[in-house]
Amino acid sequence: MTTKMFGQPIRRTEDPRLVTGNGRYLDDLGHDALEVAFVRSPHAHARLTDIDVTGALDVEGLVAIYTHEDLEAEDIAGMAEPLPMLIPHPTLTHGRTQCALARTEVNYVGEAIAMVVATDRYIAEDAAERISVVYELLPAVVGVEAARAAEHLVHDDVPGNVAARMVQQTGDADAAVDGAPHSLGLDLAIERSASMPMEGKGVLAKWDSDDSSLLVHTSTQTSTSVRQAIAAKLGLPVDRVEVVTPDVGGGFGVKIMHPWPEEVLVPWAAIRLGRPVKWTEDRREHFVSSAHERGQLHQVRVGYDDEGHLLGLSVRFWHDNGAYTPYGLIVPIITSTQLLGPYKPGVYRVEFASLYTNTVIVTPYRGAGRPQGCFVMERVMDAIAADLGLDRTLVRERNFIQPGEMPYEQGLVFQDGRQLTYDSGDFPASLAKLKTLVGWDDFPAFREQAQAEGRTVGIGLACYVEGTGVGPYEGGHIRVENDGTVVVSTGLTSQGQGHQTMLAQIVADELGMPMDRIRVTTGDTRRFKYAVGTFASRTAVMSGSAMALTARKVREKALRIAADALEASVDDLEIVDGQVRIKGAPASRIDMGTVAVLSNPLRYAFDEAARRATQFAPAADPTKPPVAAGDAPGLEATDFYSPTQSTFANGMHAVVVEIDRDTCDIKILRYCVVHDCGTIINPMIVEGQIHGGVAQGVGGALYERMEYAEDGQLLNASFMDFLMPYASEVPTVEIDHLQTPSPLNPLGVKGAGEAGVIPGSAAIASAIEDALGLTIRRMPISPSELFHLRLTSAESAGPVETLRKVRS
Amino acid sequence: MATETLVHVSFHVNGTLHELELPARRLLSDALRHDLKLTGTHVGCEHGVCGACTVLVDRAPVRSCLVFAVSLEGARITTVEGCCTDGGDMGPVQQAFQDCHALQCGFCTPGFITTITAYLAQNADPTAEEAREAISGNLCRCTGYQNIVAAVQRAAALRKATDRTRRDPSGEVSTGSTTGVES
Amino acid sequence: MKISGTSQLSADREAVWRALNDPAVLVRAIPGCSRLESIGDDAYKMTVAAGVGAIKGVYDGEVRLHDQQEPGSFRMHAQGAGAPGTIGAGVLVTLEAVAEGGTELTYDADATVGGMIGGVGQRMLTGVSKKMAAEFFGNVDALLSGSGLVGVPDEGSAPGGAVYTAPAAAPPSHPTGFVMGVAVGAVAALAGALVGGWLSRRRT
Repeated sequence: MTTKMFGQPIRRTEDPRLVTGNGRYLDDLGHDALEVAFVRSPHAHARLTDIDVTGALDVEGLVAIYTHEDLEAEDIAGMAEPLPMLIPHPTLTHGRTQCALARTEVNYVGEAIAMVVATDRYIAEDAAERISVVYELLPAVVGVEAARAAEHLVHDDVPGNVAARMVQQTGDADAAVDGAPHSLGLDLAIERSASMPMEGKGVLAKWDSDDSSLLVHTSTQTSTSVRQAIAAKLGLPVDRVEVVTPDVGGGFGVKIMHPWPEEVLVPWAAIRLGRPVKWTEDRREHFVSSAHERGQLHQVRVGYDDEGHLLGLSVRFWHDNGAYTPYGLIVPIITSTQLLGPYKPGVYRVEFASLYTNTVIVTPYRGAGRPQGCFVMERVMDAIAADLGLDRTLVRERNFIQPGEMPYEQGLVFQDGRQLTYDSGDFPASLAKLKTLVGWDDFPAFREQAQAEGRTVGIGLACYVEGTGVGPYEGGHIRVENDGTVVVSTGLTSQGQGHQTMLAQIVADELGMPMDRIRVTTGDTRRFKYAVGTFASRTAVMSGSAMALTARKVREKALRIAADALEASVDDLEIVDGQVRIKGAPASRIDMGTVAVLSNPLRYAFDEAARRATQFAPAADPTKPPVAAGDAPGLEATDFYSPTQSTFANGMHAVVVEIDRDTCDIKILRYCVVHDCGTIINPMIVEGQIHGGVAQGVGGALYERMEYAEDGQLLNASFMDFLMPYASEVPTVEIDHLQTPSPLNPLGVKGAGEAGVIPGSAAIASAIEDALGLTIRRMPISPSELFHLRLTSAESAGPVETLRKVRS
Repeated sequence: MATETLVHVSFHVNGTLHELELPARRLLSDALRHDLKLTGTHVGCEHGVCGACTVLVDRAPVRSCLVFAVSLEGARITTVEGCCTDGGDMGPVQQAFQDCHALQCGFCTPGFITTITAYLAQNADPTAEEAREAISGNLCRCTGYQNIVAAVQRAAALRKATDRTRRDPSGEVSTGSTTGVES
Repeated sequence: MKISGTSQLSADREAVWRALNDPAVLVRAIPGCSRLESIGDDAYKMTVAAGVGAIKGVYDGEVRLHDQQEPGSFRMHAQGAGAPGTIGAGVLVTLEAVAEGGTELTYDADATVGGMIGGVGQRMLTGVSKKMAAEFFGNVDALLSGSGLVGVPDEGSAPGGAVYTAPAAAPPSHPTGFVMGVAVGAVAALAGALVGGWLSRRRT
């Protein structure tokens, strides 16, 4: 009996290559390419008056300098126009996107103005430094409050700096709040952070003038979509453009945004110059010309009864979308809908305004708006518990959607344009597991003991629901080669999630093939052309399901062919270790490679496998065509998976913190996670995703914020000043799993990629509040801010401010 | 602007002597990656904070993005490629990384591997706390570090297992890999 | 592409006029010009070495002077071709006497650039052109104020016309190796990126 791969912590097939320094990341390629540096705006808001390149002309090794005028060449109409609005929405009435190179105005520090091509990056930077641009400075709009006040405008034709206003509601929530026995108002804020993968973006383009074809490598999360975008912008037929995703050093969302200006400019330059051209961004560039996320201000009103049941929830928030809106409203829409978490909100109304500021654009970062929504909802829960003097888990339990109520309709439209319907999940069970894991009921005793030792400790929790496996589809292709190798491909991409291993596990089980015969390619449009991309925790659900379906097709065909060859019935056959054999009579068997040879009637005995295959060749029936109508040569298949809706994972985190009594230093003593992502394909990979997400959650709760000055300068555009946690800051994560399989896909899986980060700020805020008895309304929070907050809270106590009541 | 003056420098990388003519301002990280085509060393920040570019120079971990290649005349440099065994298989630190799922995207990994290789040569049997401390100068955005800490201890165990059969005549404990890291 | 500019020369208008119409001056003043062959009245074939930074090459071109109104203005039409592309340009050159002595020269060029050369970007092309025009006129001025220059055809010149060559010792015109053949700025745009050597590496 072959060992099942599915569900096993199989070691990754990607690793041997990567740990020995044999990865192929973007900058490892194209050693002979010309290299690019950009002149980027040093001002947050300015008109371009003049660009003088004279100073750069003397630089030895300079090849070209391009500005917007060069994009206006007649032969390529699209290049001079703004980059595409990727995800339009009816409420996005004032969407704006930038041009690949700024035309007359720049709207954020970092916006690209001129592109320099030279023989290497050092020289390109030398030349770029010598280009002088004359600016007419305009007032910069920075921060939600300034955008909202709209004393100045980012875009002249966007009144109030409002890109969009959107309302979703299930009824008159304000009336429900007003009519409730109890009500609370909360003002909450989450600050900007960013994905910050260890590898920045990069693009390498090669133009083959012999057949007018373009090959582009880019560090992306969606090669198929970049391909379409490049073809459209450069006026090339799509089938003359191929995009390959190399090894990618992390994405976390920032690489789903596309096409970056560089993704169209680098290929464009490669065509003009007839040489391969490469650009890799440096860290500062990544800070000021990629994307950020998380910045929102919320105003919440909630009405509840004596037991803490939610009766009405009215949320208004302001989302900082930066200078342009290429990714539409996905992030605030996700905030709006996922804010509800595992709860029944009573009557719910959410309204947001998406605002322009003269800062870097905002596109999804792991969690994609959920961390903000979770922070809001969980602060509400804690506030209600404090007001009523109830245990915080009790209030949550009382508002949970029950497993028997699944599927549960929230009455809203989700980010995929479909109804927000939770398909499965057992929230009470998840919470029970969490309480056991962290020892929730024993905590008071621990607190007392700590207090006796002069230590201040606290415990907090947060719950979330995550819509994963968003459509529209993904696909898989499998081909068994004559030598028994299984070639597998899917169109979406990998940035370290172990997709190749996970998909191989699925194929191994479905096809009865050993893992080491399976080779998986992701993100290469030459291999697989129809795909959406890697985001929204969707790979296992989408490509995993598609691959299972594809493998089943291949299996069915293999058995059919083998049944003929072995003169048995299909039902009597099994595939074990790459051999099709008769159950109970394993000596009667045929290798899958041989089956592959047989599947292709063009049967020249050009090698050993083919020769052996002739032994099995059934006598050809002269009345029938060698390849039956509707069939195809080859042991291969393609299939797609396309769900009616997302599938909803959930999780709950509990955190124990210790606060230093003198310095307010925040130490995480324990971090517990209960995680439900349905059926688990590779538990080691899933846990790795949780660990990484928790680290980013800790970072977002305590360290990471983008510091913009009033004039739009990013003050901390380096790792020295933008603080991400090292190993010394990240706790050991204790994990327990619940598996409520998804009813929506053949494998029962749900996504796991973003889970770890979603409740981080909420759970840690909850714990800090519990330790110090004051209210946290803003994240991240540093020890010095906590110190100050402790001081000021002692001075001012109001009904909303100090809500901590006596705890049991 | 005149063509840049080239400076001659020679150093060993993973046991091989290289003679190079480089501009004075060429970073060691760029020289390794683009002049010597040893792309295993990665550049994450170019300002010495993330540690992805860490290589060993005369056995000590160094941020190669902060060093000019021409300043290393006569140095013996080890990169992640030099942490393999003679046969090109995974050395103990690399094997430990795979065993413990201590990498996801793999971009920061070479810096950890060289750092840990040097660390274990100094402290062959660290506790979990010491292991965590040892790696707290390298950034990883994917793994949350937990599995990397485990990998340090697993690497220590794997080294011990191979070391029992191999000690050099001076009695100095080898790092468990027979190539690259100069003893 | 339109390129225009001015240059101040210390010699008087008449001397400048004669110099600009003198092939022996042109062959020495045009940066990178190694050979100028007369092919008719006021028409020349030229061979010029040109480059931008690391990229260098040789091209062949033709220059014709017409609408001469001594000493105030003339027009020049130039055509050049090299491996990376082609250029055609028409230039109007006007000379104004300056009260205190000397000449103010104005050039107005309209250039069409085809092929690879168009690839380096407009600002770079115009920038390079103007730079080299300035160098050219500077060379003319230097020659005029230095030795009294007289054009001397080579002995044994090719049939069909006199051939002028730059003095053997003439170094690549620009110490950086940045070399352009320019006839009154017009051909500068093309010259900036014509690269035989570059093109031969195009397919790598």
